[in-house]
Amino acid sequence: MKNGKVDAIVIGAGHNGLVCAAYLARAGKKVLVLERRHLVGGAAVTEEIVPGFKFSEFSYVVSLLRPEIIRELDLPAHGLQILPLESTVTPMPNGNYLAAWADHDETRRELYRHSPLDADAYDEFGLLMHHMAHAVKPIIGMMPPDPASLSPRELMSLGKLGGHMRSLGARKFYALHKLMTMSSADYLDEWFETDVLKATKAASGIIGTFMGPRSPGSAYVLLHHYMGEIDGAFRAWGFQKGGTGGVSEAIAGAARRFGAEIRLEAPVGRVLVNNGRSVGVALENGDEYRADIVVSGLDPKRTFLKLVEERELPSDFVASIRRFKTRGSSGKVNLALSELPRLTCMEPENIARWGGVPIPPQRYLRGAISVSPTMDYVERAYDDAKHGSFSRRPYMDVVIPSMIDPGMAPPGQHVMSIFCQYAPFAIDGGWDDAKREAFGDAVVDALAAFAPNIRRAIIGRQVLTPADIERITGLTEGNIFQGELALDQLFFLRPAPGYAKYRTPVDGFYQCGSGTHPGGGIMGASGRLAALTILGERP
Amino acid sequence: MRYDVVVIGGGLAGLTSAALLAKGGRRVIVLERRDTLGGLHSTEEIAPGIRGEAVQHDIGWIPASVMEALALDEAQLSLVRPAASATSLLRGGRTLTLWSDPARTARELASHSEKDARAWGAFGERVTRLAGFLQAIYEAPAPEPLASGAREVLAMLGLGRRVRSLGRDGIVDLLRTLPMSVADLLDETFETPALKGLVATSGVSRLSQGPQSGATAFVLLHHHVGAPAGAIRSRAIARGGLGVLASALAERARSAGAEIRTNAAVSRIAVTEDGVRSVVLANGDELETTLVLSTLDPRHTLYDLIDPIYIDPELSEAVRTVRYRGACAKVHLVLDGLPPLGTELLEGALVVAPDMAYLERAYDAAKYGDISERPYLEARIPTVHDASLATAGRHVMSVLVQWVPHRLRAGAWDASRREAVGDLVVATLGELFPGFASRIVAGAVLSPADIEERYGATEGSLTHGELTLDQVLFMRPVPGLSRHATPIPGLYLAGPGTHPGTSIASASLAVKAIGAVRRARSGDRAATGV
Repeated sequence: MKNGKVDAIVIGAGHNGLVCAAYLARAGKKVLVLERRHLVGGAAVTEEIVPGFKFSEFSYVVSLLRPEIIRELDLPAHGLQILPLESTVTPMPNGNYLAAWADHDETRRELYRHSPLDADAYDEFGLLMHHMAHAVKPIIGMMPPDPASLSPRELMSLGKLGGHMRSLGARKFYALHKLMTMSSADYLDEWFETDVLKATKAASGIIGTFMGPRSPGSAYVLLHHYMGEIDGAFRAWGFQKGGTGGVSEAIAGAARRFGAEIRLEAPVGRVLVNNGRSVGVALENGDEYRADIVVSGLDPKRTFLKLVEERELPSDFVASIRRFKTRGSSGKVNLALSELPRLTCMEPENIARWGGVPIPPQRYLRGAISVSPTMDYVERAYDDAKHGSFSRRPYMDVVIPSMIDPGMAPPGQHVMSIFCQYAPFAIDGGWDDAKREAFGDAVVDALAAFAPNIRRAIIGRQVLTPADIERITGLTEGNIFQGELALDQLFFLRPAPGYAKYRTPVDGFYQCGSGTHPGGGIMGASGRLAALTILGERP
Repeated sequence: MRYDVVVIGGGLAGLTSAALLAKGGRRVIVLERRDTLGGLHSTEEIAPGIRGEAVQHDIGWIPASVMEALALDEAQLSLVRPAASATSLLRGGRTLTLWSDPARTARELASHSEKDARAWGAFGERVTRLAGFLQAIYEAPAPEPLASGAREVLAMLGLGRRVRSLGRDGIVDLLRTLPMSVADLLDETFETPALKGLVATSGVSRLSQGPQSGATAFVLLHHHVGAPAGAIRSRAIARGGLGVLASALAERARSAGAEIRTNAAVSRIAVTEDGVRSVVLANGDELETTLVLSTLDPRHTLYDLIDPIYIDPELSEAVRTVRYRGACAKVHLVLDGLPPLGTELLEGALVVAPDMAYLERAYDAAKYGDISERPYLEARIPTVHDASLATAGRHVMSVLVQWVPHRLRAGAWDASRREAVGDLVVATLGELFPGFASRIVAGAVLSPADIEERYGATEGSLTHGELTLDQVLFMRPVPGLSRHATPIPGLYLAGPGTHPGTSIASASLAVKAIGAVRRARSGDRAATGV
């Protein structure tokens, strides 16, 4: 069966695919988005896993979404509404705790309780990271220049990049070099002495990577996560009202308004190529759709090793894609709770014992709980993973979206989202039901160590291993960034040398997923830059 | 007494500097705290009548320009490059050897994996190509990306040309490889666990990182600068011990007029607003000079020898945060016989690193301040090359043990912990060579703390600071000092703690830096022979 021809087909309605579709439609193209599942969003979806409880099943916080996308697609008009996440509490093994607040001064006072030196350093650190994030921002928004090319345009682009780096001045330039090459543990050691502070900060440098906080290269990811911005405010993380799926819905709404069509439960089986040019796609059921432009939002391995015949691609390109590292390292546990967790360390008498400022549960439970009590704890969690098992005591980032958005759960009850690391995709012997549940138990145990009432509060539980993430979302090896954010896979190397600018070896076939520059998080930059490339516009 | 240049430290960097400076017509004195020359590369008595390699037991790159300037050749330095570069000792008496001849290695690999045998030649060529690029950078003053001026632009263009000479694929390969882990690099190339374990040692040797740590592929390339084409893990040893190398350099320095004083510890470098004024020895002697070249590690030089009021706080902070983290202990074993391996293998390095997971686990311990229960060992037997190092019938085995952290999780280094490291080595080798323990007639152990105390290497770091991507090139030793000059007029730094991270090459660049400044200052071309 043949269907009518459109200008562009986008494979996959993940957030990048939707962004790309929206920009193409906005430019007047007739766009068709084909999604395998019954809902849009890819890994940014909201699903009612337990009746009455809505979960941001995979991706659960928003911060990196590019402001220009929010603006250009007018996403607030389509339902984008980010509710800020205001604090992070890290329980410590000795019963003490560390709290960090959106309010800088409040955080500083709390830090002072742990170390006056660190409280002082915190100001300077925050300022420097702020500057670093600003320094890197233009790089994220630019097409990666190809350092190996001799074309005048590439050389100009390289020269501009060089000029940008030099314009930072010595202090920032060297700091940036350190961030790009050091481990987050070493980098933080230069600044702070409080272990729990360093552990909590370092933990954000390992999210989605297969590195420990002591591995060189992890400091960069620290910065990557520092770049979150909502409406221009750096470092603010938040929830989408109604769950992360709402972000995808908003982008889909914008795309539809510009005229794009989104077809669900339409899994693409292969990209049709004729004489080195893509001419359309075939669904798994054999239906064919024709278009001059085909864009894949799927990860590079799925895109090039599954959807395209190998003979259509140069062999060195295929080799590059095969060795593109996509080791999934994180899992997710979603809990339906009958009552709120109570952190032992945040009981009023305990806070008083440690000389802290009293904080009611209604306040700190609106923020995150970070289970990253010591740097060694996080490093040991990695040790388990690199030797082939899930972390017996995982690092966890715990949030309770129903505290901020009560509509997520029935009255008086709550949903809890636990991001956990490490859960390696390539676990010894492979994942099975028993291992999944054992992993879920390890997560609950690790949380119960600090919030003993959690066990009796659980009325529903969903454990997602990287194998589950792959099965449900299609992300190869369950890698949440469509490919590891490691220096050898960034910028002009993402996903393969010579093909970092959204083009592929097949004419008319493009890629727009987070497996391309800049990649990672609900950012949308890849989708936007891909669309601009297709439209022949400069970003 | 007045000298043109006072060189602090009689290791390879200090002796090379002195020889080059003296040849250039400077009145030079070398001050060495110990009674032996060579520093970490000396050869010393370790038991009555028996001499062994103090710490380092082989040597990497010696720039051809230095050999030429000092009219030295490998034979004069007694340097030998064994046919067997390194042999991995495996269970059940099996071995895997990397030969300096890649074709021979490929033949040996064929019995393990046809695929690996086929990939070997190309891998060696790739390492040679990428290390060759590093070498080109290392032969020049450190690139300063923030410097301006016509000369800098020309230097950067020159660098750019060298990069481009690698070709399109070469550039991409270099930029992709530098930040990789050596484990990833080897996993995408080979399949034999023993081969990967043995080659991976090159990425973690003397470093507090494991093979899965980022940028250890860079470390592998660094260690292959100056290596023969296609040869992996090939390093030179000196017949008669590395002390021979130190002696030869000292002889060159003396014959060019340099003075060398041992047992001459420096207590401080006297500085005024105008710069260096003199060097004061522990015994009270004061040597007047306006030029000091210190080859101690940067922390020792800038923290211990200079009045802090002359170090600005930002520099002080940068020096404080340089990472050293010594990772090795040294164990000397005197044996009454050789392990049953055949002379050819015994001439090369003997390595206990059966696979990468073994190395990774060995490293894990060090992260928490523990000594590896199953350590990575790197052994050499200098008496195989020169029996006169020991009394008749005796052999000396020199073992570097990794990971042995300088800072222990609990407690400090003491005799019993030192003994435990010796026992660990004997037990590890005993599992591979039955009856090994009964061959040992004497032994000695140097913990990282001992290495620090005896050889002045901060935290026992054999490289005077970790060689990691954030601490090389324009970052070594700290930003702004990578070209060997310091903010104190007349004070220069050399040694492995400075660019490019190896003793002899750093000396050559430091001497050039002194010459360049002199030239610029006085326009006196006659005084700059080097």
